[in-house]
Amino acid sequence: MNKNNIIAFLSVFAFFGSAMYFPYTTTPVKIKYPEYWPKPVYNFEKNPLTQEGIDLGRKLFYDPILSKDSSISCSNCHLSYTAFTHVDHKLSHGINDSIGNRNSPSLMNLAWHNSFMWDGAVSHLDFQALAPISHPAEMGENINNVILKLTKSTDYVKRFYQTFKDSAITGEYLLKAISQFELTLISCNSKYDSVMRKAANFTLQEENGYQLFKKECSSCHTEPFFTNGKFENNGIPLDSVLLDYGRYNITKNPNDSLKFKVPTLRNIEFSHPYMHDGRFKNLSEVLKHYTTKVFPSKTVSKHLGNSISLSSNQKVDLTSFLLTLTDKNFLFNKKNAFPRKFYFPSTEKK
Amino acid sequence: MIGQLKILKWLFIFIFLANYSISIGQKATNDILINISTSVNTNDSLSIDKLKFYLSNFNLLKEGEIVWTEKKSYHLVDISKQKSQSFTFILLKSIEFDEVQFLLGTDSLTNTDGVMGGDLDPTKGMYWAWNSGYINFKLEGTSSPFPFEFHLGGYAPPFQTVQKIKLQTTNRNRLNIGLNITDFLNQIDLTKTHKIMSPGKEAQQLSILLSTLFSISE
Ligand code: HEC
Ligand code: HEC
Repeated sequence: MNKNNIIAFLSVFAFFGSAMYFPYTTTPVKIKYPEYWPKPVYNFEKNPLTQEGIDLGRKLFYDPILSKDSSISCSNCHLSYTAFTHVDHKLSHGINDSIGNRNSPSLMNLAWHNSFMWDGAVSHLDFQALAPISHPAEMGENINNVILKLTKSTDYVKRFYQTFKDSAITGEYLLKAISQFELTLISCNSKYDSVMRKAANFTLQEENGYQLFKKECSSCHTEPFFTNGKFENNGIPLDSVLLDYGRYNITKNPNDSLKFKVPTLRNIEFSHPYMHDGRFKNLSEVLKHYTTKVFPSKTVSKHLGNSISLSSNQKVDLTSFLLTLTDKNFLFNKKNAFPRKFYFPSTEKK
Repeated sequence: MIGQLKILKWLFIFIFLANYSISIGQKATNDILINISTSVNTNDSLSIDKLKFYLSNFNLLKEGEIVWTEKKSYHLVDISKQKSQSFTFILLKSIEFDEVQFLLGTDSLTNTDGVMGGDLDPTKGMYWAWNSGYINFKLEGTSSPFPFEFHLGGYAPPFQTVQKIKLQTTNRNRLNIGLNITDFLNQIDLTKTHKIMSPGKEAQQLSILLSTLFSISE
């Protein structure tokens, strides 16, 4: 074969191949994160990110179609402008004004989490969305019914087809699409991150706070994610109404009693109220807890056993450091917000 | 150019037909049909509303050595769905075997490796949303006056529930695997144990009991 023949052969082959298998092409996306971060835990090979998949996931995340009475979307409890938590609500609010039993956590850097929920009830990000969809006090819906509703929407059918190249919408695709959007929620542009990249400097106060943080807090709130991903008891006493024993509920192991997943402190300025039941309104209440009110129990961390001692100046310093974890790029990123154009294409301003 | 295209077109059709005929040819010779049956004597006092379970990771062995492994080996058997009770192992060449091994339930990797489709799709009602993991075995019914509900699962130590089943067999093109549910219910004190809905010691014990109740019938 001469060169022309080869080219003709290849192009015909490429045409047949693509026409048969890829009537739509997808645009692969790679997540971006600082090179000094570890590799993600999430296995992207099993769910490769594409722009089409991310867009679909984003539309689903903001769509109340996932709830029984079409009143609640994921974003009702996870608001982009507050690092995807439900601001000012101690316990989450679901359909029919029902109140859940936990505070909604912020959502970010989920590709590096190895368990989900305050008690680690969910072992993989893909499966997480099943929980709120089916929870009677959250979305109160059944995944088969969600799929039935989605199948009636030509826009969804098209988007699922574009993303997964399959004319059926399945539970697998639904959950993978939601994961795709969530995996893009990466917060790595706070002032703290700029300092780490040597592109900015802490003020004296922030620097003092950082040193205190490394001494007193980072054993659990470990950099760069400000969580060690483990379950710990930080000495907040059992709420006598909620009776939430945290990790123990899952493992039934007495050593896990009152342990909760260490939450990230990134964007902590915006994710109040704090703790699994939202018992503290602001950071000064949190510091008051760590310095004077650590409740002794069998499982409380040794590190906190007798409360931490901090002077009032030190508290101010520590707080000013915590505020350097605010990432405005993340909070106000349009790519994370309500995708108006996916719902109302004609109103989109060019 | 046009001439080349024509030849190419025929080439494609030829390859397509060749593949097709090869696959038809094989079906007749080496494949093994697997039938799963569950025996239970329902009567006035015993009724079964739901019986669904996973069988996975099928291997065929000869003198203790694995000679064939099913790829993507997950089967959700559901007594209300005739089709789910039989499946075929497609073998490229004929093999000798004297034992079949499989898991009742799904292994821990399946439980932690992200969402999958087919029989493992979470729409099949065999996934626990609030304590992540697959339900390996679901049995619901009434042994009057007691309604019972057994949802057995859990992959995390120390309460793993998945069970390895090993059955001797003589080489044939058909395997009839039976699970004796009557024996299962007879060996449980339904007055004490009639509802298990989460991982734990009881789920583990009942899974072990189930693993002894499989057999191969002629
Ligand atoms: C009614 C409020 C509510 C709705 C609606 C809701 N969530 Fe949540 N979300 C919560 C609460 C509360 C938790 C913590 C639950 C727990 O720990 O038991 C949570 C936890 C999570 C987590 C785990 C985060 C972590 O760090 O462990 C993810 C991810 C998440 N939600 C995503 C979603 C998605 C996706 C949807 C839509 C399908 C959704 N949520 C809908 C309230 C809600
Ligand atoms: C022994 C581990 C441990 C240490 C040390 C620790 N924390 Fe925590 N922290 C936790 C755990 C666990 C939670 C969640 C507890 C809960 O919700 O029940 C938490 C929650 C928080 C929260 C609330 C976050 C949210 O989104 O609700 C803040 C703020 C916080 N810690 C700040 C600090 C600071 C500041 C220090 C150092 C003075 C510190 N922590 C030391 C384990 C620890």
